[in-house]
Parts: sequence; structure tokens; C-alpha cells
Amino acid sequence: MRSPFKISRRLSERPLRLPHLSPYVPAPDDPAIFWFNSERDDIVREVAERVAEAHCGSREAMELALNDAAYHEIRRLEKQRDAEATERLPYWRGLSRRIARMTDEEKREALHELTCRLARDVAGNFDPRVYNMAKHLVPRLLAGVMRPSSLPAELLPRRGVDGSVLDRLLRVEGDTRTLSALEKTGTLVYVPTHSSNLDSIVLGRALEVAGLSPVIYGAGKNLFTNPIVSFFMHNLGAYRVDRRVRARLYKEVLKVYSQVMIERGYHSLFFPGGTRSRSNLIETHLKLGLAGSAVNAFSNNRVHGVLRNVYFVPTTINYELVLEAETLIEDWLRAAGQARYIIDDDEFSRVERWVAFFRKVVNLEAPCVIRFGGPIDCFGNPVDDSGRSTGPAGLPVDPGTYVLRRGKPVVDRTRDAAYTRDLGEVLVRRYREETVIMATAIVAHVLYRRLVARTPGMDLFARLRLRGEVALGRDEVVREVGTLRDRLVALQAEGRVRVYEDLVEADPEAIVDRALTVWSGYHTKVAAKDLGPEITAEDPTLLLYYQNRLVPFALELCDESDLPAAREIAAIGRKL
Amino acid sequence: MSLPPVAVVGAGGFGRAIAQAAARCGRDVILWSRSERSSEEARVRRTSALAEVAAAELAFVAVPSPFVASVADELAPHLDGRHYLVHVSRGLIGEELAPISRVLRERTPAHRVGALAGPLAVDALREGSPSGAIVGTRFPEVADAVREAIGSPALRIYDTDDVVGVEVASAMVGLLALTAGYAQAMEVNGTTLAVFLTRALAEAARIAPTLGADPQTLFGLAGMGDLMAVLAGGDRPEVRLGRALAGGAPLAAAGAEAGAHIEGVSIAQRLAEHARRMDLEAPITQAIVGVLEGRSAQEALDALMAREVGSE
Repeated sequence: MRSPFKISRRLSERPLRLPHLSPYVPAPDDPAIFWFNSERDDIVREVAERVAEAHCGSREAMELALNDAAYHEIRRLEKQRDAEATERLPYWRGLSRRIARMTDEEKREALHELTCRLARDVAGNFDPRVYNMAKHLVPRLLAGVMRPSSLPAELLPRRGVDGSVLDRLLRVEGDTRTLSALEKTGTLVYVPTHSSNLDSIVLGRALEVAGLSPVIYGAGKNLFTNPIVSFFMHNLGAYRVDRRVRARLYKEVLKVYSQVMIERGYHSLFFPGGTRSRSNLIETHLKLGLAGSAVNAFSNNRVHGVLRNVYFVPTTINYELVLEAETLIEDWLRAAGQARYIIDDDEFSRVERWVAFFRKVVNLEAPCVIRFGGPIDCFGNPVDDSGRSTGPAGLPVDPGTYVLRRGKPVVDRTRDAAYTRDLGEVLVRRYREETVIMATAIVAHVLYRRLVARTPGMDLFARLRLRGEVALGRDEVVREVGTLRDRLVALQAEGRVRVYEDLVEADPEAIVDRALTVWSGYHTKVAAKDLGPEITAEDPTLLLYYQNRLVPFALELCDESDLPAAREIAAIGRKL
Repeated sequence: MSLPPVAVVGAGGFGRAIAQAAARCGRDVILWSRSERSSEEARVRRTSALAEVAAAELAFVAVPSPFVASVADELAPHLDGRHYLVHVSRGLIGEELAPISRVLRERTPAHRVGALAGPLAVDALREGSPSGAIVGTRFPEVADAVREAIGSPALRIYDTDDVVGVEVASAMVGLLALTAGYAQAMEVNGTTLAVFLTRALAEAARIAPTLGADPQTLFGLAGMGDLMAVLAGGDRPEVRLGRALAGGAPLAAAGAEAGAHIEGVSIAQRLAEHARRMDLEAPITQAIVGVLEGRSAQEALDALMAREVGSE
């Protein structure tokens, strides 16, 4: 009999699929992803061939690729010491011993076999039936978690009402009509900021609410360990990303898979931040590998005469209350935090925290704003609703000209890497412009800035130990919150940031009350305590986390008297 | 296949010298200036129509920094993604000290941009005497195009992908060349000048990362190399300006005497303000600003020498 572990691993590696009694024939106006299953084998073959052939130029290149893969896999599996290691180690050790004796033809075969296996492991599946089921089920289940008494009613089929509770929390902003038009003529690549593991779920829901097509996205293999999550992930187009695998071939397979999917017109999603923003700073250091795959896809298509454009959609996901705030900021502050890339013991993995979070969020209607920014092409040019790239002063520019060399489109990886770096800078700027500032960020900034002002030059970690030691007059906080909000509204008028619409004309006192109420009761620590005439900065660490959203604007949001404190705050992103 | 023409936007001393260097390399050159004049150089065609620049693949932008934005705006309708723009200015724009490459990228559809700098003097370009330069660009094809246009066994052109580093280094050297001219006129001895300039370069390296530059670039051709050329006695307009100022000439008259637009004067004040806002130690920049505003140079030097000495 198979052990439960083996069954679970098997499910994570080969997730369940629903049987097909008759082949699903997509309707002409179905999104591109509905055609995925009919192309899946072809895509896997193309990815495997491209990656393998890139290394088949010389004997040395083949040997290097095989040795690199064997070395990294043996190292990983020896550390893992689990069932996978028992199963796979003999293969890798055998390959490692054979490489030097192999003929060129055998090396080529081994490379093809390896890349084929990796590509199969990465490739997802898309089952329209699972998609339709998830579309109706997920919001209702989440609603049920939020209000258990409503679960039976939520699960009953209803007409015209869809995930009402979830949708009350989700606000979708941005020009979705343009995105809707563009997804018919080009390939959309959503590149959101990343704060929480809930991001994929809320973004998926936001796309659906906005009437936009589902997208393919990479999901960490750790999310596939739960058979139910794995079933949904796998059948909704997610491709698997195993961050433990360090082999260069594997990374190339991931990039080329993304590239081929974009070349073929599959709308995609990836988080350029790479992982959740531990600090809650707006992302500035992006991992641009997958963005680069989209630029490569564009130039490759142009060389082959395919004129389909690629449109990036800078998107921000903004929470008033962040599910994993405490773990994330602690992780950021820990010296070892940088190496702790995969957190698997945070609030996201604890059901009781989910329930507490959702209840808090629903009771208060603490919003999550998904803001779709205006689309840009691979070269950072804005794109209008007809898909036309516009240069400065609104003049149209042909994106195809960016890949020309002496008048002809050419593939040039170095050039495309440079474009991708430029694109990364545009995304960083756009993230700032499209970030929606919530009440918790404003109040946290005022309290934290006061704390810094009273402890000039103090080491960050010493400052964070000052729990509840700094109290401020309530009137002072309210006044500063009002001033800060007004300055943010002025920045919004210049197009430099967004302010949550309910705050624009709100009474500053209400903003303070709002933040204090949202914080109390969910986090295990109290960020700030309301003592009537005074407010104390109870937990500087949580205040730091929420105020970090405003770090890029710190110098512009302060009076001259607060400049030294603002300078220290502005330096946060640079120093850590 | 015949190579496309090279365009040079701006027919000041440096622009004309680049045009001559490209013509000497066998390239047809379109030299733009506001006023149309006939060219005396073979292969160099002068024009006042910016639209003609579109025929080139590579265009050198050789206009003083205050005019770069307006020229870029006028140039924009004639360009697209196939064009490469490389500027030769020592300026940084506005209060935020924006690099000119960014201005070109944001105000024109051409995104393949770069900056040419280093110990490259007008005379060396004109005469083809042995020299070297560095082009900062993220795009290797731009560096190749610059080498193809003006490179030769006598003109070695290196490249780096730290575009902003090259621009910051070039701007800093402009400012320091002015200071060196001033110090020479004051007959400050060589040792003092060496300490002053080395510490100034270290100060620049502290400021550089806050502007997006790699401080190491300051110690290459764009920074140290160019500064050595200044000290070796190259006839630089910045040095002439510094000398004139030291002689007591008012800024406008000194500028006229130097015969070129000097970027250093306007940069000093903005750099000092930037350092103040970013809480960076920049005593030398502040001292230069003081002298440009009329403070006694000797007093400024004494104040610098009286500062506490620390580790390098």
C-alpha cells in the first residue's frame, strides 16, 4: 500500500484532472486560455526543444548544462532526504557519472529528455469546467468563512448575485474597458505589486469582476502540496515553480515556458517583486526574468512576422489590513530574513488566522483596492485603447522599431535585457503612481515620524523596542493626519500617487479612528492605543510596516521642522 | 552594405569636432544647427531642418544641457525606436539633477541612449591624435555604433552600462575643472590641489549612488581619466572660466571669456542642495558654491583644511 506521503507527493506532482467524456470545444469568443489543453503537448515540446537546442552548439556547452543540472539536483536531493530523494538520486548520480563518457549524440538526447521532463513538470492545465466551478465557488466559500452562518445560503445557486461579501471588500480601479479591448488584439501581462498570499486570489476575482480573461501564472510548488489547492491551481492554468531547484536548465525552462505562452497569446501574470514585500515598501528592486521573457516574446514574434503586441499592466494591490503583516515585517527585520525566501509558517498557512482576518475585514469592510494602471508596451510607452503605443507628446510610435537593427527586426538578448531594465524602472515609477494610500498608512506614518523625531539618530532596532513609550496628544495626531492627507491629495493631483477615495474628503478624526479600529483585534499586537486624550505608539514594528508605504514621499510630506525625522524615514529603503 | 549617415545635433565646438571625426572615419554626416550654414568639411552636410536627422541611425546630441529638453521635444516627432541618441553634455538637469540620458529617453521615442565622456578634447577629435573616451549605455549596439562612427586606432572608445555613472562623473569633472582653473590662478601648489581634487572625487563618489550611479565609474575614464586630462593642461573652457573668476571677473564676463556654456556653475548649487536634503557630507561642494557666490577662496580653503581628519 502506498504511504499517505507518497500519495500526497504524487498528487502534488501530477494533480488530479477531471475525466473528459467528450472533448471540450472552446467557443470562438472564449479567452485564449480555453484553448490551452489542445496546445499543451505542442507547447511542452517547443519549450523543451528551444532550451535543449540552446545548449547543443558545442560538446562543452552540452556537458556544462548536464553537469550543472546534475550537481545542483544531487545537492538539493541529498539535503532533502525524502521520498523524492530516494527516487531521483540514483538517476542523477548515474547521469553525473556517465556524462564524461557519453557521445555527443547521447548528450544531446539526454538534454532533450531532461528539458522535456522539466517542461512537463512546469506546464499547467486548464479545465473550463474547473474554472466555472471555481468562479462560483471561491467567492461563496470565502464569504462563508467570513460569516459562517451564511454558508448554506452562500452555497445555494443564486441568480444575479455573486460573491457579494467578497465583492464589497474588493474595489477595482483603472481603465478596465481599455484592457478588455486590448486583450482581444494583443497579449496582456499583468505585473502587480505583491503584499500577501491572498493576492492571486483577489486578483483572479478582480479580473473576473472586471470581465477580463483569466491568466496563466506561476505558483510556488509548495502551494501544490495541498491536494485541493493543487487541484484548483493545476486546472486553472497555473504552472509550477519549484524554488528549490537551482539548475540553470530549470530556470531557462521556466523563462522559455513563459515566453512561448506569451508568444502564443496567453495572457499572463507574474509578480516582479518576486516575493511578498516583507517591509511593505513599494517595490523598487524587481526580479525581471519573467518580464524579460515577455520582451523576448515580442521580439521573437516580430522576427517571425507575428505582429501581436504585448501589453504590460502595472497593477497595485492595496490592503487596509494585511493578513501576514506581523510575520512579514519580523522576517524583514531579522538578519537572516533575506535568506528565508519561502515562508511556510506564516498567517497564510494558519486557518484560524484566515478566519480572524476575514471576519475583521468583513465586519469593518476593510477594503482591498486593486488598481489596474494604464497599459504600457514592452518599451515603457503608454498604449491607448486601440493598442497603439504613444511616445512623448502623444505621438504614435511603432513598437516594432525598437527591435530593428539596420532596418530589420533581429533577436538580441543583450538588447532585450537592457529594454527589460528600462522597463523595470518604468514599473517602479508606475507602482508609486498607482499605489493607493489607505488610512492605516497615513496614521502609522504620523505616529512613526513622531517616534523618530523624539529619538533622533537612534538605531532602528532600539527604536522598535520602545513599545508604548511614546504618547501623542490626540489633537496633534488628528491635525498632522489632516495635513498629511492634504499633501497626499496634492500629490495625487500631480499624478504621483493615489489616495483611497473615501479618505479624500474625510474628517481627519475619522481617519484616525478608522485606522485604530482596523488595527485592534486582528493583529496579535496592538499597533497604536487610543487612551482618549492621547494615542500611544504601542508597537513601533507594526507602525513601521504600515507607514513604509509612504517612505518614497516622506521628504515631501513633512514640514521643515520634521525634516530630520523624514530624512531618517526616507533612508529606510536605502539602508535595509 | 553602405552605412547610414551619422547625425550631430548642435554645431558648437564639440559638435563640429565629432562631425569631423566621423567624416574622417568615412561616414556621411548631417550636422544640425539652428542657423543654416554651408559646411567646409568634406562629407559633412549642414542643415537647420531637424527632420533630416531621421535619416541617421546614430545621432550625437551636442547642445548645452539647458537646451537639451527643448531640442529633444523638437526632435521627437522625427524619431522612433530605431534611432540611437548619444549626448556629450556635462550637465545634470533641474533640482533633482536628472541625467540627460533620461531626458532624451523620456522626451523622445528613442530609448537606445547613451552618454559619451572621458578625456576627449576638441583638439584630439579634430586632429585624430591618440585619445580615448567612454560611452555609457545599456545597449551594446549603441556602443558599437559610436565606435563605428568615430572610433579608430587613434581613438579608443570603451563602454560601460553605467550610463548615469558616466554622466555624473562627467558633470563632477566639469565642476572640478573649473575649481582647478581657479586654484591654478591662485597659484595653489600641486600638493594642495592633489589633496583637494582627490577628496573632491571621494565626495562625488558619496553623492553618486544617491543619483543612481555606481561610484566605481568615477574612478574610470569618465571621472579620474578626464580629471587627469584637465590637470595635464588640456585647454578646457571650464579651466578658463575658473581662471577668469579667480582674476575677479564677474560670472557673465568670465563665461564669455571661456567661450562655451559651462555646466559646472549651475550644477554646484544644486549639488550642494541635494547633499543637504539627503544628509550627505559634501564640504568641498559647499565650499565651491561659497566661492562662486563671492566668498574668499583662501578662507574656503582654510576652512576645509581645518576640518577634522578621518579615515579615507
